[in-house]
Amino acid sequence: MKLLPGFAVAAVLAASPAFAHHGWSGQEEKLTTMTGTVVQSVSLAGPHGAMKIKVGNQVWDITLAPPARTSRAGLTEGKIPVGATVTVRGNRTTEPGHHEMKTIFVKHGSDEYHVYPDRE
Amino acid sequence: MSAALFFTWLEGSVLGQFTRSLGVWSYGTINLVHIIGIALLFGSILLLDLRLLGAWRKVPLAALSGPTTFMARIGFALAVSSGIPMLSVNATDYIGNPFLLVKFPAIALALVNVWLVHRSQAWRAHRVRDLMPRENRRLAIGASLSLTFWLTAITGGRMLGYW
Repeated sequence: MKLLPGFAVAAVLAASPAFAHHGWSGQEEKLTTMTGTVVQSVSLAGPHGAMKIKVGNQVWDITLAPPARTSRAGLTEGKIPVGATVTVRGNRTTEPGHHEMKTIFVKHGSDEYHVYPDRE
Repeated sequence: MSAALFFTWLEGSVLGQFTRSLGVWSYGTINLVHIIGIALLFGSILLLDLRLLGAWRKVPLAALSGPTTFMARIGFALAVSSGIPMLSVNATDYIGNPFLLVKFPAIALALVNVWLVHRSQAWRAHRVRDLMPRENRRLAIGASLSLTFWLTAITGGRMLGYW
């Protein structure tokens, strides 16, 4: 029982907005904006939504929010066709040799999808 | 067949295509079944193993072994039947993940241990009579190995997603 107050403090800290606004572990703190061409359209099947875009000669893995959250943001499968130009903003992975970005915002033409509005 | 080829095949299989088509809550729901399976499996195993290691001696072993092994089997069946479709969704993402080499060998060792315990003289005898110290020691060793292997499997499985 002595441990309970400690757990309570930890739980409150973990749930506080200050913690929520920190980046993802393994990702850069700063936000990066990139524009590229969709080479694999949005999939909402896995643990999180995902798409692939080509920026210059580099294909990037665009990791979105969990499927239901991505869908609630309006970004459903088939919304953005392969070949479309999109602008994405998010935190890139810090892992050398990997090209992946945890993405908080996607813009396609005049459509904007804010999948993590609290992180913008 | 190499693991990479197997995972590529699994992801492209009818099972993978079907599971991916089930909608935005499907992965979370299958994951839920997997967790319930693991909870049943490990919860039951933990009770039995601690009893075999000397806890709750007032509870007759024969009264505990039936219900715990029954629930552990159900938990294992749930974990496997949800784990395979869950893996099929994005199997290729796991190619090269070192925790695969923790999780699956640990499960294999745990199952070999179950098999060895269940065919031991001590296990067969516990249902019909009190065990001798030597037999209790045999089952306590099995219980230690069981906890080690299953905890390793769960750890490997959880860390797979964070690699």
